[in-house]
Amino acid sequence: MAHGHHKEGSILMYPEKPPFPLKEYHAHYDHIFEMMEELEAKGEILIHRITEEHQPVHVYTRTGRIKVIPTNKLWHHKSCGQCGNIPGYPASVFWFMNKFGLDYLNEPHQTSCTAWNYHGSGTSNPVALAAVWLRNMHQAWKTGYYPLIHCGTSFGSYKETREQLIMNKELRDAVKPILKKLGRLTEDGRIVIPQEVVHYSEWVHAMRYKIKELYEKEGKAKGIDVSNVRVAIHNACHTYKMIADDYPYDPEVFNGQRPAASTAVMQALGAQVVDYSTWYDCCGFGFRHILTEREFTRSFAIQRKLKVIYEEVKADVIITHDTGCTTTFEKNQWIGKAHGMFYPVAVMSDVMFAALACGAHPFKVVQLYWNCSAYEPLLEKMGITNWRELKKEWEDTVKYIAELEKAGKYDELMEFFKTYDLYEPYSRTSTGMPKASATAAMPLFKS
Amino acid sequence: MDGHIYGYNLPISEKTKSVPWEEKVRIIEEVKSDFRFKEYIFGCLNCGVCTASCPSNRFFDYSPREIVQRFLEEDVEVLYDMMHEYIWACSQCFTCWIRCPFVNNPGGLVAIMREVAVRNAFEATKDLLKPYGRVLLKVMTTGNQLSADMLQPDFFPDWGPKMADNMENLRAKRMAIPFDVGKSVKTAWEVSLETAIEMYTIWRETGIFEMLEKLDPNLYNVIMDIVEENEERYEEMYEEE
Repeated sequence: MAHGHHKEGSILMYPEKPPFPLKEYHAHYDHIFEMMEELEAKGEILIHRITEEHQPVHVYTRTGRIKVIPTNKLWHHKSCGQCGNIPGYPASVFWFMNKFGLDYLNEPHQTSCTAWNYHGSGTSNPVALAAVWLRNMHQAWKTGYYPLIHCGTSFGSYKETREQLIMNKELRDAVKPILKKLGRLTEDGRIVIPQEVVHYSEWVHAMRYKIKELYEKEGKAKGIDVSNVRVAIHNACHTYKMIADDYPYDPEVFNGQRPAASTAVMQALGAQVVDYSTWYDCCGFGFRHILTEREFTRSFAIQRKLKVIYEEVKADVIITHDTGCTTTFEKNQWIGKAHGMFYPVAVMSDVMFAALACGAHPFKVVQLYWNCSAYEPLLEKMGITNWRELKKEWEDTVKYIAELEKAGKYDELMEFFKTYDLYEPYSRTSTGMPKASATAAMPLFKS
Repeated sequence: MDGHIYGYNLPISEKTKSVPWEEKVRIIEEVKSDFRFKEYIFGCLNCGVCTASCPSNRFFDYSPREIVQRFLEEDVEVLYDMMHEYIWACSQCFTCWIRCPFVNNPGGLVAIMREVAVRNAFEATKDLLKPYGRVLLKVMTTGNQLSADMLQPDFFPDWGPKMADNMENLRAKRMAIPFDVGKSVKTAWEVSLETAIEMYTIWRETGIFEMLEKLDPNLYNVIMDIVEENEERYEEMYEEE
């Protein structure tokens, strides 16, 4: 389908004119949207559509397609790597959601995508990956909230799985009986597939001007200024190299010739985006390698990224938009000292940096204490000069909670949390089932 | 045949030489019969753009171009040999996929080859994935691949002394996060029991438990104990309802 031509009501849309110079591509990924509509018309699938209540924002993909990004009424499909290893990452997403007064659901009826495991160990298969994805997507649809994918690998894997499902009847036929057994088909027996697979970085990209407004209103009022901060962007492989035709590009970001998410929000905030020669390289995470072959991970991260960023552009911070890259760059700096290859630079995701710029607490919200690399010079440069007091405040809180728990003073702990500034005290759940964990019963604190 | 006249510089291993030809053909045919295979390989100019931009190529004897070329030449001997260790060097970044003028996906071919290697209990998978058992245990039983309590400083001495500080008062730190996120230290989030039960059904129906049993029988037994225990808990909960 050519630019400027689209059927009324179709989910495949293009602007009247190409938004930036486009290359002729061999892959015709966009065609899957027409195929989805055909499969829906045949009664095979149900497209979970993005509607006005999701407050959609239009962005462009690499092919010039209009991708619809829902910004409200979102079902948070969390990232195990972020929740486990970079807690300030999802906390910053939720902080923005609350700041903007958006409606969302954060519930326990979801598993990881399990794709990290697949790319690391090969111990799965496309039918299992599809069943896990579709189970999660059905759950989101059932709640009436639209899925927002936090993890880059989940996002990449889900995009690929969707393409495989749409293109291959044999995969649909294999996964359908499993979903039926789980009660994860529609009442009339259809597979639920979302209109767009949406990554949180696309949400940040779509919300960048609102984030800018918040920065100017609240961040600057606190004395924060990012205009002198030099940021080096690292785009995650699984967001823009996996199913490359389904990720935002924008005329204002390298004239549409590089991925736009993360760079565009930094530009909107007025930070100095600095370019470096190995922007295209991966981080060295490698899925299996970060855990079991770390000499590769750290060698690649140091030699191909950290050294280059340090020597070529003297960046103050590397901005990421995925779990593994953030961990790889952040945790593999200290070891460089052993070989005289120490290139200190702060590392955090786009949403964490944006939250700091807008005045979020560096430790309580952005959870920077967890970082193994130095973030303090960046905070100073941003004008967050009271970070020592904020850090002490955080450490005193943690100490107080730990002492109460150790002493078994659960009533006092509950009283403390009543007065603690909880942005979102408890998850809402969408089923009437009692809350029980997949691990042994392990309450947060006894009541 | 030792090695290959060009490209694949490794001598063909004794393991590969000792396997009957028919078995090697069967394995490679299993790879080629995967429905993704035809979507991952189209043609090859031997331009080497994939290998030039491959992160693993910089540090390992590994080339995505070689993977594509061997399939196009139907070089069963070399392909079978690659399935022992060679393919595990791939970082699964898919730089090769986005760069290839033919839109070949060598990383995708590697994913299929790895899957077939695990399913057919290649010895190399058992050795290479041994240290990966903690992740398999976590993901198969809870639905999460990573949790805060897996980041013990002893496992990550190269990440520096800050790791020990991070783990101090871990539960209290997580309690102090003012959102319902990252609270659980044993899982990334508290996956509801009914959701985990659904996931176990997916593993059973798609043959994942069988793959695990072949990969590591001891790990499989531990996983099945937890799975069965959770299924019993769920049934009890359901009866109480």
